[in-house]
Amino acid sequence: MSKPTVGIFGLTGCAGDQLVILNCEDRLLDIVALIDIRDFLMASSENDEGCPLDIALVEGAVLSRRDADKLRAIRQRSKILVALGTCAVWGGVAAMDRGKDRARLLEEVYGEIGLTYDSSPAQALHEVVKVDLGIAGCPIEKEHFIAAVAALLNGDTPLYPEYPVCTECRMRENNCLLIERGELCCGPITAGGCEARCPELRVPCVGCRGPAGDTNVPSFVAMLEQKGFDRQQLAARLRTFAPEGVAQ
Amino acid sequence: MKILKLPKEKLDLFASVVQQFGELHAPVEQDGKYVFKRLMRWSDARLEYDRTILPPKKYFLPPRETLFRYRPGEGFVPHTEGLDQRIILFGVHACDVYAINILDRVFAGKYPDPYYQARRKHIAIIGIDCSPDKHCFCRSMRADFVDHGFDLFFYDTGDYYQALVGTALGDDMVLATGSLFEPVDGTDIDDYKRRSWNKRRAFQLEVEIRDLPEIFEMEYQSEIWEELGEKCLSCGSCSMVCPTCYCYDVADHVELGSRAGRRARSWDSCLFASHALVASGENFRGPRASRIKFRFYHKQRGFVAEYGRPSCVGCGRCISACPVGIDVVQVIDRLRRVQDVASR
Repeated sequence: MSKPTVGIFGLTGCAGDQLVILNCEDRLLDIVALIDIRDFLMASSENDEGCPLDIALVEGAVLSRRDADKLRAIRQRSKILVALGTCAVWGGVAAMDRGKDRARLLEEVYGEIGLTYDSSPAQALHEVVKVDLGIAGCPIEKEHFIAAVAALLNGDTPLYPEYPVCTECRMRENNCLLIERGELCCGPITAGGCEARCPELRVPCVGCRGPAGDTNVPSFVAMLEQKGFDRQQLAARLRTFAPEGVAQ
Repeated sequence: MKILKLPKEKLDLFASVVQQFGELHAPVEQDGKYVFKRLMRWSDARLEYDRTILPPKKYFLPPRETLFRYRPGEGFVPHTEGLDQRIILFGVHACDVYAINILDRVFAGKYPDPYYQARRKHIAIIGIDCSPDKHCFCRSMRADFVDHGFDLFFYDTGDYYQALVGTALGDDMVLATGSLFEPVDGTDIDDYKRRSWNKRRAFQLEVEIRDLPEIFEMEYQSEIWEELGEKCLSCGSCSMVCPTCYCYDVADHVELGSRAGRRARSWDSCLFASHALVASGENFRGPRASRIKFRFYHKQRGFVAEYGRPSCVGCGRCISACPVGIDVVQVIDRLRRVQDVASR
């Protein structure tokens, strides 16, 4: 059986998720032995930009017509499209203020010429094309990427935790930053899978993995308001990584 | 049951002798909280602690555990690494020993769990008596005292620890120390009774569990379940820290480039939306309210029907670990309250 053809792409984002793939150093040879990476601009200057792909991995959010066209073209040539990272899955940091007047923002940053730029409010991939699998994370976990490749090669889909960061934080027996220190920790509403990396180091969760499978934002916000946080501050924190449907 | 006493100043000597029976683990401080950990030196042990973040459950049913490795055509090989490691848990409270006794009934019952049982066989328990704080209600749950499930149990009676010897291994530990332990006399018996009496009076929390399953049955439609559902964050903290929550999720982790892999389990919680989700997409407990209701019913009612007592031991961990302050004692109190419907 021939190896599945794979493309790895970046839309608007920091390229951190593609970097995670390249950082799987001790596994890279195993990975390329199993898949045929045809199109991966970040890693190679020689790419086949038109071939059909079995799997496309796409990082970043859609922030321009160019992004949207590129994404649609990728979708057309791919059997399976995987959203890679929180920007691709949820819109990410760039989607934070997408309700604001775009023209005003462009002018504020770039001056009058900004108005001529190809720029649109950030969208997650699923808002533009059909997405078959999402791997959230900012950046993604190496193990989650490898698990995805391993599962997809077997015609399966990987399972990622839907429970929140608190679950793994408790498993690791960390002190609770929310209860014991009254800090603004987004653990209860943020998807786990990171092994509570930040709270483990006494740094409150900022929610970079996007919302957990089942979130109770009203109760979470009410609890934080009782601790003395104001609504605006909370909205800003919650909107950093989560889409407005989840964090209003 | 054999009862002896150990002069307090000889406790460290006892601890050093007892290490021949296994690696010593005890509560150590971690930013004002306590965790059971391997002791690097005896002086790190904190025997006067309130409660550890995680109960000793983590030693018998680790948060994550590989069960076996499988390979097509070759079958599977059970993962047995570490199962026979000899550990001594020093300083386990009565409620936590009680909880382990409850886990014993679950994991040694209809479906014996070899992983749990192997660890239980190799991990010794030296219990220690404690004083209740504002979240403790073990006395109400009849778990403030244990008569089995430990190898030794220490009671602080002032100048001495009185030691109940629970097993032959406990007796071996005593014998290995030579003449450290002394027989108890009449004064010691009075000291023990005084301590028992004082502890009884120290409880600030109380719940009545007699006829509680029946009251739960009557209040199945109570609005309290909806209210709790609106409050609960489904974060799973209460289940993780619960000494008797034993639900686990099982998943296969396939190796890259093969159909071989390992099957592993990890702690699960009935508060998770995925807990009662089955392959067809049906979810038997979809709404959050039905999930938190299930947690209470399983602890306080279902378990009573199956095993003759609630699975809650009153350790207070879920109360101190809930970010939104859901408090089992308050829930029970409210369920028991007379609503005075007739006068409305």
